[in-house]
Amino acid sequence: MIGTKAGTQGAETRISELEKENAALRIALEAAEEANQAKSRFLSSMSHDIRTPMNAIMGMTAIGQSHIDEKARVQDCLDKIRTASSHLMSLVNDVLDMSRIDSGRMTLNQERFSLADLVHDIVVIVRSQAVQKEQSLRFHIGRIYEENLVGDPLRLRQILVNIIGNAVKYTPAGGSIHVHFAQRPDQKDRVDTVWLDFLCEDNGIGMSQAFLERIFVPFERVQNAAVNKIEGTGLGMSIVKSLVDSMGGEILVESREGEGSRFTVSLPLPISPQARKTALPDGAEVLVAESRGDRSEQIEICLREAGLRPVLLEKGLEAVTYLTEAHYEGRMPCALLLGQELEDMAALDVASHVRQLAGREFPILLVSDGDWAQLEYRAARSGVSAFVPCPLFGSRLLETLSRFVGSGGEDGGGLGFRDGDYSQYRVLLVEDNELNLEIATELLRMTGIQVDTAEDGRQAVEKFAASSENYYDIIFMDIQMPVMDGYEAARHIRGMDRSDAESVWIAAMTANAFVEDARLSREAGMNEHVSKPVDLERLQDVLSRRLS
Amino acid sequence: MQPYQEEYIANIKEIAALSAHVAADGLSFSDYETQLRNREELVEQKSRRNMELLTHGLFPVLDDLFEAGEEECRELDSFASQLRANGDDGLFRLIHQALLSLARQKGDRSAMIREIYWLGMGHHDLCSKLVGLELEAVEKYVSQMRLCFAEAAAHLKYYDEIDDTEIRSYILRSQANMSLGPFKTPGNKIRIVRDTLRIMQDENYREKAPDLPWDSYLYMTHQQMASSISYNKDHVMSPEDMTSILESAYIVYQRRMKELEEEGRPSLRWTFPYYSIEYFCGLYDLNRLLKKVEGMLNAADMTDHSQEGIYGILSLPAYYCQYLVQAPDKIWGREAYIDGLYRRALEYVRGFSAAEDEKVFICLRHLCFMFIESEGGMPYSDFLQTLMKRFMPGEYLHARMVGEAARSLCELIWEEEPSYFDDIPEIAILMDPEKKRRQILETAMDSGLLHDVGKLSVLELYSRTARQWTEEEYEVTCLHTIAGGVLLGERASTRRFAAAALGHHAWYDGSAHGYPATYKRLECPSRQMVDVVGLLDWLENAIHSARVHTGIEMRFDEAVEAAINLEGRRFSPLLTARLRDRRVTERIQLAFERGRREAYRQMYIQELTGTEK
Repeated sequence: MIGTKAGTQGAETRISELEKENAALRIALEAAEEANQAKSRFLSSMSHDIRTPMNAIMGMTAIGQSHIDEKARVQDCLDKIRTASSHLMSLVNDVLDMSRIDSGRMTLNQERFSLADLVHDIVVIVRSQAVQKEQSLRFHIGRIYEENLVGDPLRLRQILVNIIGNAVKYTPAGGSIHVHFAQRPDQKDRVDTVWLDFLCEDNGIGMSQAFLERIFVPFERVQNAAVNKIEGTGLGMSIVKSLVDSMGGEILVESREGEGSRFTVSLPLPISPQARKTALPDGAEVLVAESRGDRSEQIEICLREAGLRPVLLEKGLEAVTYLTEAHYEGRMPCALLLGQELEDMAALDVASHVRQLAGREFPILLVSDGDWAQLEYRAARSGVSAFVPCPLFGSRLLETLSRFVGSGGEDGGGLGFRDGDYSQYRVLLVEDNELNLEIATELLRMTGIQVDTAEDGRQAVEKFAASSENYYDIIFMDIQMPVMDGYEAARHIRGMDRSDAESVWIAAMTANAFVEDARLSREAGMNEHVSKPVDLERLQDVLSRRLS
Repeated sequence: MQPYQEEYIANIKEIAALSAHVAADGLSFSDYETQLRNREELVEQKSRRNMELLTHGLFPVLDDLFEAGEEECRELDSFASQLRANGDDGLFRLIHQALLSLARQKGDRSAMIREIYWLGMGHHDLCSKLVGLELEAVEKYVSQMRLCFAEAAAHLKYYDEIDDTEIRSYILRSQANMSLGPFKTPGNKIRIVRDTLRIMQDENYREKAPDLPWDSYLYMTHQQMASSISYNKDHVMSPEDMTSILESAYIVYQRRMKELEEEGRPSLRWTFPYYSIEYFCGLYDLNRLLKKVEGMLNAADMTDHSQEGIYGILSLPAYYCQYLVQAPDKIWGREAYIDGLYRRALEYVRGFSAAEDEKVFICLRHLCFMFIESEGGMPYSDFLQTLMKRFMPGEYLHARMVGEAARSLCELIWEEEPSYFDDIPEIAILMDPEKKRRQILETAMDSGLLHDVGKLSVLELYSRTARQWTEEEYEVTCLHTIAGGVLLGERASTRRFAAAALGHHAWYDGSAHGYPATYKRLECPSRQMVDVVGLLDWLENAIHSARVHTGIEMRFDEAVEAAINLEGRRFSPLLTARLRDRRVTERIQLAFERGRREAYRQMYIQELTGTEK
């Protein structure tokens, strides 16, 4: 043996260090390999998940083409194509979001929004899925201190839709899902922030303890026979967790395999300055006919808080008896709020009779979580004056009521008709993709509006420059285009020396629906952001807000 | 009444007589057919005249009702009561609805109470005509009735202020009538009847209107209480409810039963309901009740054509089967006995004249709805057709024409495209082309023959409405699809024709122009056959059957053109494409005529022999 003790010790230390480094490298290698494997698994799963709806789209297109004369069959194919496309779109969105979160580029908007609008949007999105599975999906609104809040409604919606959507997905047909919203003050004395508490409980397939521990890890999905056919990237819950964290909130999951799951999310949200108050006659009596205890209690609270005096009944016959007596005694209530469930008969049958009994002017409001599009025709024929959608928010109820009570009873289009005729207006549609141009033109023309088109930014600028002042009411501008992109085109238009250069409304049309894209659009002088693929409702929304 | 009103009422009576079955005794087939064709023509003429009378007589009065004098209103009221007495409750409702609007407009409380009561009675008449349908399908009409009575009954609070005894009687009767018809929650009925009993027994009310028939009101209220037992069969009753029902049952049935027994003329009509109430109240089990009923059935007299006889031969078997349907394990071993009851019932009704058709039909229809099919017993389809030929000849004629035309069109389709109907499992499994062809043609014929059996549930709207339908009546007739689907779907031998009954008014494009919403064309394996029946039903209605009630009147070639114009929306383009071929339309037209003659022949044979075929 050659060498000193010190030398030996030094060598041992070095060996020990090397061993540690080796161990660390081994762990790093394993982690890298695992990450690689996860990536491979993800790619493999994604390629399957993307192919599935793609195959459906191609297959249904082929079927539709081969039965082109059978309208009902073609309609069926188109419905399925729409479903598959929207699924495909959500897959792509998930992947893009995760990539944003991973790279730390996710930023949150801070804008005013209405909780009522947000919840109603969510209901519209998830209800049809639950109806298809014949599930009982019930929304309940608890104590709400303030409906006008500040935050990122888009991301908030993403969180909530993801959770409820999962409940619908993982609950078998005929199951039940209960969603609850409530608020609590941040601190006793502080009124500038509230916590939004959201609960989603289902009696679906539930999750094992082992899975619960990994639920927020990307690409994880419950693996068992019951869910093999359920599509998804496995990114949804990771995105939800990241978003909740970035909003300073908390998320809690409880679940038992075979029994169901319960998600609780709490988010702090600043209160937006109070919007206008509705003017209602103090102490006026409102007759409420509803047999659902929770619903009538909620209505009662809203009415009492607004200074009104509710009279609660559960049966249609009782309501008619009450109104007949009130009519003769000259003490008619200021309105009838008809709930969707009465103990003895259908609400619309009661409405129809009350309309005869109480005359044309008497306000009858239907408070229901039914689909208004389906109810509207029958409700209007039955004499219903207006519709208050559920989940019930006080603001909606009181605003609708105030249209009839105290201000002469005029219904300002209370039955929810969209604005119709835009034939006097003109839009410039700028889009380089031929198919997109064709679809958007078709959709816009369905609204009656006059449409001019341009194939790139430069053409758009030239067309605008060549037009007379105030010729165009709106410019729908694609962003990614050859020759001149949408941002540059918008900047050129805004920089022109003419009176409408600043005022013409420019809406960006882009699939880049992130906050910074919106910011870039704004910086380029555009007024708003329409995410792609465009649909009729979204375009109509822009038109109605801008032109009505 | 005004002359136009008198003429209208006379026409209704004549039309009712002309629509009844024709006895074939002493007539050759040719004479029988001629008579039927002549009657049909007369019905059309009279119905057309009725529409003229309404257009030029009634409607102008209703248009200017707010300017009408008292005499005019009184005449309208008399006309309405005559209409009701002769079965035209649609027009009865229309008139009272108008008179109610007038009363509301004038703020005349007494008139309003009177009119709302009569409108409620009009709705009640309509509900009574909707037979064998689930509450969900008829709920709207029941609610309309109950809401009218509730509004009139709400004036009970002002009973003391009202001087007029007649108006007080409307209020009291409305209170009692709120309990009529089926209830969503059975306990609600008992609660209303109990309130009514309390009011009817209250001396304060009685003293203020001593001339009213209080005992009769009280008795009828007890009847309502006793009848509420049937709504409670699926629910556990509270001791309080049970006591109320047993008390009423004693007053209504037991007392009368004993009186009749003492007089030596025991009556099934009193005995059976009482036994039934005792059974529902748990005093004995179903086996014992069935034994008791069998004893009564065995004692029923085939030669007795009185109400008692009709009850024993027609109604009692229906109740008996109703219990068996609810306890299918009790059917085993009773199949031959049940079959004997049906055969006996059909034989029995042959002894009644056309004038007695209505009362016999109501009981036989109940039996038809409770029909229990068994191996070796009478097929349900035979029972239905016998019933149709006798009591709904016009509908049978239409069904036979559609059936013949469906068979003819399906034969053409089979020749061109043998696999066209292969979505239907029973047809798809047949490999032998001839067997497949026969099966297709048989299915087409029977689907056509049975597609409208649901009209049994709303028959009065077809056979007793001697004018075009009102919008409300049309809406009610739409229920025949649901009723037919259920009737056929519940029995094994007719299950495969249920889709045709349910879906023959659905639109090919699934739009809401068609009905009912419960028929989903793309999910129905028999949709190609349903399409065929739907097309031919539409064509036949357009050229013939719907003339009286809808005013639609087309020549055959016009109807074909109209059907082609509805291609891809109302009708399958695969079928309308065939209508462009003149040879096809000629065959359909011939099949319609063949179907018509065959229907007359079948009715003639049944009149002579009482047998099917």
